[in-house]
Formats: sequence, structure tokens, C-alpha cells
Amino acid sequence: MKEQKNTYTSSLAEHFFRNEYGKMVVVISRYLGINQIETAEDIVQETLLKAVENWQQNGMPPNPEGWLYTTAKNITLNILKRDKNFQKILTKERNIDFKTEENLNFSDNYISDEQLRMMLSCCHPNIPENTQIALILKILCGFSIKEIANAYQTSTETINKRLVRGRKLLRDNHVGLQANVNINKQLPIILKTIYLIFNEGYSPHFKNDIIQFDLCLEAVRICEIIINNPHIFDKTESHALAALMYFNTSRFKARFNKDNEIIDLKHQERNLWDQRLIQRGIHYLNLIMNGNKETISKYFILASISMHHCLATHYSKTNWNEILMLYDILLNIENSATVKLNRAVIICEVQGIEAGIESLKPLENEINKANTYLFHATYTDFLVRKNDLESARVHFKKAIKTCKNKRDLNFLEKKFSNLVPIL
Amino acid sequence: MKEFMLFIRSEEQPKADLSPEQLQKHVEKIGNYLRRLTEKGHMKSAQPLETEGKILASKNGTIIDGPYNETKEIISGYYHILAKDMDEAIAIAKQDPRFEEDFNWRIEVRPIKKVEGIN
Repeated sequence: MKEQKNTYTSSLAEHFFRNEYGKMVVVISRYLGINQIETAEDIVQETLLKAVENWQQNGMPPNPEGWLYTTAKNITLNILKRDKNFQKILTKERNIDFKTEENLNFSDNYISDEQLRMMLSCCHPNIPENTQIALILKILCGFSIKEIANAYQTSTETINKRLVRGRKLLRDNHVGLQANVNINKQLPIILKTIYLIFNEGYSPHFKNDIIQFDLCLEAVRICEIIINNPHIFDKTESHALAALMYFNTSRFKARFNKDNEIIDLKHQERNLWDQRLIQRGIHYLNLIMNGNKETISKYFILASISMHHCLATHYSKTNWNEILMLYDILLNIENSATVKLNRAVIICEVQGIEAGIESLKPLENEINKANTYLFHATYTDFLVRKNDLESARVHFKKAIKTCKNKRDLNFLEKKFSNLVPIL
Repeated sequence: MKEFMLFIRSEEQPKADLSPEQLQKHVEKIGNYLRRLTEKGHMKSAQPLETEGKILASKNGTIIDGPYNETKEIISGYYHILAKDMDEAIAIAKQDPRFEEDFNWRIEVRPIKKVEGIN
């Protein structure tokens, strides 16, 4: 065995490979052309495999990024040397002299721009939402097909099909990578997709916590890429979304007990909330407050609500009045049943149980399939607090009937165990 | 101390299917494992092997180099280690973090034969 270098470090930065995967894929696919995105992905996978074999024997190099970029560059140039087709594409279609490597650029600024361009391409309006997400997770976040399938509770075949179709759409639309499209105009679409990824991870419905938590972290990381890019002029919305995701992520691990059951906000151990993440959220909200732009966007309001929860030392010390005011504003932006449902819970805290029930009642006609369960579960809770157990039982039954997943069902049955009729 | 060869066997190239995240865990864990063995004086050498190669076979007096992977299983690397006895060699092999992964890794533990005048 070779002598260990003194520079040996035993571990890399967290998610180092995953992050570098995305960086290298965007640079190489920019160089080879968006048509060759799969080749780019293969090159990067091969690069990481080479790193594994070398590093596990010799220890990590002092500059792991540099090592990866050099290796990726060499593999790319070797493929080019062998493959006349690639040479043709590069010289004829893209006007690049493949013998030079000046266009294979791994500088930080270039990487950041290419990541942004790739996000834009993946979020093209012609690409369906779930395909956008699969593309982003695969290309930019370096998730494997299996990991994406796990995160979305679906089969690897489904995800693979989505990706194959997605890559084709990327090619057909020639989005972003060629023309200098207006990134700022497209930003809301990108932010929406990031928020979708985040919500998928944050949703407590599924049991695969590790991968779900990773989804949240990746959503935050992509948002940070946007925040750090100088071509985005107005960062207010990105800051607001980042703040919202940081606040919510801070509570991620307090939401489950050791048996992996859901714990609601009221009963969570608040000392388990990650203060470091809360501080990050506050940092971004401060950037918005100190900026020139007045904003009352959805992300900003949601972030502010989440912040109030994070800052309360105890459930009873929550600033309900402030939160209710924020929900009133939110209702003006998004007049949806989900917002009203959440608002009813706050009304309950501020104005009492009767007022809460009154605000909940009219929602019965507005709710859709997705939030039926939540409506009845909330109603059950209110009625139990009012000690109207008979009516509570009616809504409890409806909640159980419409509850789609096991984890929520367990939570429900445990919380209202006194309502279950004794047979 | 006796010498042992540990042959790492796997089907095809299992690492090719690992995600970047899993590859990172792999390199960190295996790296630490090898370093630990070196520090404790168990390690003589360790190398990965290319997945492709040739098998030479003599047939009717001529030597043929043929494709060698008639089975899907290949030896993807080896450790040459020092251990007190077979039990310790097995214990060392068992600690290989590969076994924590969701793949069919196999490690063959073979004592190096002591022959007078050779080793």
C-alpha cells in the first residue's frame, strides 16, 4: 500500500459528491451541448468512481474539487478524441475547437451561472411539473434514480421514464442553455419548483426521513445558488423562500418521536429545534426588511408566520395575534381553503373555540380532495376541545375515511383515541 | 503473524450503480477502514483491480487468451493482510464497511501457504 500523505483527511464536506455532481454535469453538458446531457451524467459518474478508487487507497487529496474537475476534464477530452461525432457537433454546431479546453471551464462563477441556466431549462413551462422536479433532482442535485423514486414513493421505472422524457424535452426546447433568456422573469417558476421539492421533503406523510430531510436540504441549497448569483437583480423572493425553508427545516427532527410517530407543534420539544437554521432564516428576513423593496409576497408571509412559531419559547407564548394578522394578509394574496383552514386554527387560539368553529364551518363546501382529511381532523379537534364528543365523532369518522396514508392515520387514532367507539 | 489474502468479489461493478451520496459514504468508510488496518499493522497491501482482463488457457499446446468473465462474478480488489490466525483474519474481513451496503459483496479469506524456502 502506498504511503499515506500527510494531508490525509478522513472525511469530505457533507454531501460533497452530490454537490459536485451537479456542478460538473452542468459544465460538461454546456460544453458538449444539451443534447449530450446523458453523456455528461455518465462522465461525472465515472469521475466519481475514479475518485472513490483512488481516494480510498491514498486518502483524500488536498484539493478534492480540483482533483474531480481535472479528472472530469480528462475523461471528457478523451471521449472527444475518440468520437468523431462529438467532434463534429462541437466544431460545426457549436463552433468550439475541441482540441482546446478553454470552454471546459470549472471556475466558481461559471459553475454558478451554468447551474442557474440549467434550473431555468429544467423549469421550462413546456415540461410537466413532476418531470421538472425529477430533472432537477437528477441533474443538479445528483440524486440517483432510486433515491428519487424513494423520495416520491414510486418505482424506479416511473422516474426513469420521466427522466428520459424530460431529457428529450430539454433537447426539444433548447431552453436556456443557448439563448440569454431573461432569468429574472423566469425566477418565480424556478422558486415554485424549489418550493414543491421542499414540500415533498417536509411533508410528514412518508417514513423515509433521511431522504425526505435531504430533499429539504437540497431545496434550500438550490435556493442559495440563486441567492448567490449576481445575475439575479431582485432577490427579495428568493430570500423569503430561503427564510421560510430554513424556519420549517429547523423543526424537522422534532416532529417525530422515537417510534417515528408524528408530534404536532403544540407537543414538540422546542429545544430540539435547530437554532442555527432559525438564525439563517432570520438573517434572510432581515435582508428583506433592510432592503428597499416593500414586499407582501406569499413566501414572505409564510416565512414570517413560521418565524413566530420558531421564536416562541412555549406553545402558549406564541404571538397568535401577529400570526392571525399575517394570515389575514395571506388571505388577500391567496384566497384558498387551505389558508382558511390554517387560519381557523389561529382564530381558535386568539378568539376562542366557538369563533374557531364558526370560521371552520363554511369551509365544508370549499374543501377539495387534498384537504378533506385535514378539514375533518381539525374539526374533530375543535369539537373535542369544546367537549362536543358526539359531533366530534362524526367528523372523526370522516377524517379517518378520507385519510390517505398510514402515518397520518396512526396520528389521528392516537390523538383521538378516546373517541373511538368501544366495540 | 500469518499472511492472508482477502479477495473482494462482486457481481459486475456494483459501485457503478451507487448514487453520489452513497459513493461518498463508501469512500469515507473504506478509506477509514484501510487506514485503521494500516495503523494497526495488519495491512501489507491493498489494490483495486480493473473489471476487464484476460484469462490464459492452454488448449492442445497453444495458449489462448479468452474473455474471462464466464460468470458475472469478478474479483474487484484484494487486501494482503497480516493476522494472528484465521479467526482474526475473518474478524478483519467482517469489519469491511462494504457489508453495510445494499449489494452482494463477498470477501474470500485465504491463508497464504507457508512453504519452506519460498516465504
